[in-house]
Amino acid sequence: MFVLPPPPRYPSQAAYNLAVANGQAAPMIETNNILSHPTGPEYQLVVGEGTYILKDDLHLATPPPHPSETPIINPNPLATNPQPATGGTRVSLLSLSSRAEPPSLFRVGTNKSIRSGIQASIQESPNEGRPSADIAPSSDAGTSLSGSSKPLRSLGSAPAFGEGNAMLLGPSRDAGKRRKPKNNIAKSNSSFISRCIVHENMAKRVNEHPVEGYFAFANINRAFQWLDLSSPQMADHLTKILFTKGHCLCHDINQVTKSMSHIDLIMGFSTGEIIWFEPISQKYTRLNKNGIINSTPVSEIRWIPGSENLFLAAHMDGSLIVYDKEKDDAAFSPEENGQQTNGHSTSDDSVDQVTPKLHVDKSVHSKNQKVNPVSFWKLSNQRINAFAFSPDNRHIAVVSEDGTLRIIDYLKEQLLDIYSSYYGGFLCVCWSPDGKYVLTGGQDDLVSIWSVAESTIVARCQGHQSWVTAVCFDPWRCDDRNYRFGSVGEDCRLLLWDFNVGMLHRPKASSARNRGSISSRLTNTLQRAETQNTTPSRLRSNSSISADCEDDHTIEHPVEPRATTAMLPPVMSKVIDPDPLCWLRFTEDTIITSCKSGHIRTWDRPKDVATERKTG
Amino acid sequence: MSGLFSKLKGASSGPTSPGSAASPSTKHKKDAEPEPEITPLQKMLQNAGPIREDGSDKFFGMENFGNTCYCNSMVQALYFSVPFRENVVRYPPLSPNGTPNGQPKIVVPIRAPVQNGGASPAAKAKGLSAAEAMKRRAAINAGQPVPPGPGQRPEDKPDSPEYKKKHAMLAGPVLEMTYDNASAYGMEESTFTALKDIFMALVASTSRSGVLSPQRFLEIFKRDNEMFRTSMHQDAHEFYGLVLNAVINNVEANAQRRKELEAGRKDNALSSSINAAVASAASAIGLNGGTRSPGTGWVHEIFEGVLTSETKCLTCETASQRDETFLDLSIDLEEHSSVTSCLRKFSAEEMLCERNKFHCDNCGGLQEAEKRMKIKRLPKILALHLKRFKYTEDMTRLQKLFHRVVYPYHLRMFNTTDDADDPDRLYELYAVVVHIGGNAYHGHYVSVIKTKDRGWLLFDDEMVEPVDKHYVKNFFGDKPGQACAYVLFYQETTVEAMRKEQEAEGLAEAALASQEADLALGNPLNGNSLATPSKAAVTPITPPDDQNEFVSLNTVISNPLPTSPEIAPKPAPGTLTHASTLPILPQPEAEKRKSKEERAREQKENKEAEKARKVAAKAAEKEKAKEAEKKRKELEQKRKDYQRHQDEEVKKVIQLSKTTAAEEEQKRKATPDAGNGGPITNEADSQEKDKLFGRTTLSRSHKGSKSLGRKSFGFLSKSGEKEKFIAKHEKISEKDKQTQNTENGQDTTAKDEQPAVDIDAPHTGQKGEKPKDGRFSFSGLGRKKSGMFSSS
Repeated sequence: MFVLPPPPRYPSQAAYNLAVANGQAAPMIETNNILSHPTGPEYQLVVGEGTYILKDDLHLATPPPHPSETPIINPNPLATNPQPATGGTRVSLLSLSSRAEPPSLFRVGTNKSIRSGIQASIQESPNEGRPSADIAPSSDAGTSLSGSSKPLRSLGSAPAFGEGNAMLLGPSRDAGKRRKPKNNIAKSNSSFISRCIVHENMAKRVNEHPVEGYFAFANINRAFQWLDLSSPQMADHLTKILFTKGHCLCHDINQVTKSMSHIDLIMGFSTGEIIWFEPISQKYTRLNKNGIINSTPVSEIRWIPGSENLFLAAHMDGSLIVYDKEKDDAAFSPEENGQQTNGHSTSDDSVDQVTPKLHVDKSVHSKNQKVNPVSFWKLSNQRINAFAFSPDNRHIAVVSEDGTLRIIDYLKEQLLDIYSSYYGGFLCVCWSPDGKYVLTGGQDDLVSIWSVAESTIVARCQGHQSWVTAVCFDPWRCDDRNYRFGSVGEDCRLLLWDFNVGMLHRPKASSARNRGSISSRLTNTLQRAETQNTTPSRLRSNSSISADCEDDHTIEHPVEPRATTAMLPPVMSKVIDPDPLCWLRFTEDTIITSCKSGHIRTWDRPKDVATERKTG
Repeated sequence: MSGLFSKLKGASSGPTSPGSAASPSTKHKKDAEPEPEITPLQKMLQNAGPIREDGSDKFFGMENFGNTCYCNSMVQALYFSVPFRENVVRYPPLSPNGTPNGQPKIVVPIRAPVQNGGASPAAKAKGLSAAEAMKRRAAINAGQPVPPGPGQRPEDKPDSPEYKKKHAMLAGPVLEMTYDNASAYGMEESTFTALKDIFMALVASTSRSGVLSPQRFLEIFKRDNEMFRTSMHQDAHEFYGLVLNAVINNVEANAQRRKELEAGRKDNALSSSINAAVASAASAIGLNGGTRSPGTGWVHEIFEGVLTSETKCLTCETASQRDETFLDLSIDLEEHSSVTSCLRKFSAEEMLCERNKFHCDNCGGLQEAEKRMKIKRLPKILALHLKRFKYTEDMTRLQKLFHRVVYPYHLRMFNTTDDADDPDRLYELYAVVVHIGGNAYHGHYVSVIKTKDRGWLLFDDEMVEPVDKHYVKNFFGDKPGQACAYVLFYQETTVEAMRKEQEAEGLAEAALASQEADLALGNPLNGNSLATPSKAAVTPITPPDDQNEFVSLNTVISNPLPTSPEIAPKPAPGTLTHASTLPILPQPEAEKRKSKEERAREQKENKEAEKARKVAAKAAEKEKAKEAEKKRKELEQKRKDYQRHQDEEVKKVIQLSKTTAAEEEQKRKATPDAGNGGPITNEADSQEKDKLFGRTTLSRSHKGSKSLGRKSFGFLSKSGEKEKFIAKHEKISEKDKQTQNTENGQDTTAKDEQPAVDIDAPHTGQKGEKPKDGRFSFSGLGRKKSGMFSSS
């Protein structure tokens, strides 16, 4: 098989600009992905536990622009016209075996054995469309101040999102048979989809796919690819979809419905549109078509844990919208709050409290559930950059461009906390496997660790040399006291961090005093005030607290000064790619990263440790 | 090309943003406006209220006389540095010529409109026609194939900057800054007066937009700075430094002159003798330069910060500190880094070894040492110079670094000293000076500036255009087009101000977003955002008969802070935004109602059953939730209480310190009477010292100030004992002055109270006190040091 030339990187290519500017046809080269296995010390990550070695470097081909939808390239660098949106390559990993699930720390304290719990499999209940998540003991461990090693969790599971609203229940149907989207993507003549290239042996390859291996779905520019990461021919995509000008920015796989014969994939686009795609049957459905519900780009999209049909999309105008994959769209106008159900728990406290911080434009408890959106929350008018569901399936952590982290109880549709970045916007967020901590990364070059339980910042992690674009815990190296997490950033670096609640390094000014508890921290500042000087900003932020948290639920936390916040150094920092990185995930055997130009790199965990790895 | 655009536009559903390129033509088609020449800026300014007095609503382009864009971009940035503008306008507090209100009336000549739109006479006089200059500039955008069609000049294309600039000149008014008003200010003509002329003309202008022709300013500047006399491309940062220093010198010189005048007029023998003593003292030290008089330190106050360089000798482990002042920070760049990181590198430890050894006073000799620079005092306006120009290896040429350096809209400094005041000060980005071009010898400068209530504007010589907030992120350095941020201006702000602004800004953005249905906004995720469409592109799309509501929204779009109080940033996202975001269709409403009715019945039944089933569970759950909520509240309450408690404590401490300060002051007042017998009265003493230190400020070189400190001691006294005494007194007198200024006579504790926010509060206690801060730390180092001096 002959090898095609390397993929062109058209956004910065002078030749391309020239051609377009001169009105000639842009070079239309469709290229292949390239798989390489570079070796050498620069492709190794040395950490305490051993050496991670780069296994595969898969470079996704950037597609040339669509012939009729070529971006308008203005030679003037000051031109104010928009350029094609690219969010960098993000990957959705899919493993069909339960083995690949990370050990769920959240369940450590429960009676269930860790490994036996097969993740929310198909339930045969009448409530089947929306099974309550079996993964979810309640969250009131959240209020424990102790931070003790023994998880204080009551049993009982989190209710499913919107539970109690009968209107949300779809018609019951045969549980074994999954509903597929309507349209065939290969034969589509939609103006949104340019074409779909299916590998000739796709069915065979899917069948041969080892059960513990990973499928990956990745976006690059206007292309979207389905790859088999366990196959030696991983460079050959199983399916590649080219869109016309909408760029897929984010995607997610439904963990509830996945099976050998069915995968529910949801994609969010730069045009605000959403596509529900079933890769095995090659069927798709468009949602929020032409932005009828919300026309701003979708920055993050996730299935609601435990739900077969519902997913949450973050739009860039600051809206969080829940859609049902099987419902039709209808133009949306905010419902009045009084319209919510009267008898149920959530409504009575959210009716009259329309806080500007979380505006429920349509509640999940609304009676009108024939069409999308299922619910519609307006957080602010600032761009939402990312969100993440808590492991207990009760909360979402939402981060936005205005530098706020919001903790929302999405079951109750209540905003609980607002935290602020040290400065600049937040770009990414994730939860610790036990749900105690939230990590954020942002434009202050910091990874911040927040304790949800104690409602405070725990530490700021300094080590990146540019903005932090993705953070992720390594659940295989976390236990109930020690946490390993990684972060990647615009500095092309991967950083690994070890975080132990007891071992936090306090800043000099307050290192002598005992840590953790609120009182001691405040005494610190007090003493500082007596001996030297408090910052005016501190006084200012205090005033903001008292002013802002009059509202019943929402607590707005002021920015902690640098002098009183612990700083955490990384255990490993390395440039791992020539281009800014944008995505990171840990699997049982690897670390996978991706960058803006489409390199998906897989790093093998240290071999010796992999064999010694605890099984429990 | 525009034909293609309109075709594209027609093909796509919903309003696209055709880019600024298509806007004029589309506008024509769509809203059939009779006035073809309305620019986005004018559109934005259409329903602005009455003209303001402070000049914050003047958006003038500046004429380019051939490569004078370095001046234009910087002067714009300086004009929109609010405290600087205010002080320049205010500076000579009272004109001696006796203009009643202190401000001479300004009549700015306005250039007669040129009909043919050709080269302006001024430009011609410089031997370069406007068209030529523009062409040249177009060529400068190297790597950019500018495709002029056959026989088509760049300024003929309606979307080209050349076209826009030409039309800005045509539209006018063009303020001819050919005069000088220095005498009206009671000053000699200087860079400062010329700059003031510009600012005054803008403030006094009755038009909000137009073009200003800074001829006189450039003449004066070139007169004083030989290197800038050619018509070559110049370094904007260098220009900035020269202008600021010139302003400092001019102001000081003026103060000195007036002081002398006054002194001459006074017949009070005592004061003149004191003055004579001062003068002789000054000459004895051999320093010339202005004396510091009240009201001249404002440039320092705005732009000046203090850096401490800590050097630790590796041989004897002695650490020494030296303070230096700065007007901006020049930071080295690295590929794929952020400004934050570059600033940290700036403060990273540096080894002084080999050729670069450090002369250690303690071991006496060149030694290896560790050095690091930290910021001891943060300036109100932080100018960051990104060192994009670097000598090539063979040192023959300056090359430009196209590193991708990201800069956030807000910033705090990590590299402050432990004792810095307000180390967590929040800064916001308000101006970016952008260099476009391949190297240091060619190119073009523009500035992108955040205005008080009109959002971000692009100032490109004659042209001023509103841009989207995300546009600011186009100059990280990785975009094609060679446009990179070169100087960043950050100003101090507060979290509250930031939040308020964000709320308002979001409204604008949401409204904007709603209008561009299917347009991909910039990069969503990682902030390497691509340009979002400018309002320029979007506004014309609005159909004209789309209620007034939309029109007003349009204006909001461009303003993070809406001008009219009606649309004031009251957080009403629900109403305002949605009204605009989503067209209210009657149909689904009806459907909704119908279905509601239908469902009501079903629902009732369902509910009944469900209720019974759930009530129990719900009750339990609710209780639990309430409990949790309560806990949370309690926790927070605790926190709040602590904080309140802490506040009170702080206040107490402050109170205490105030009283002690007052006591001390009283004591002090008593002392001079006691010590009157000495040859130099305490007052004169302090005054004198004041002068001396004032001078050190001016010199801006800190080496001088340190040695000067020693010298002054030597000059004043000989015995170590006495020196100690004087040092003490000096400290007190400083305090005295500080108290006068700030009422915070005490040391650091009392400073807490200082509002770091008040940009224009006249009493930040830092007025003219920079060297004394140095002094403070100096004496703070302990007696050991002063003892050392006295023995030597």
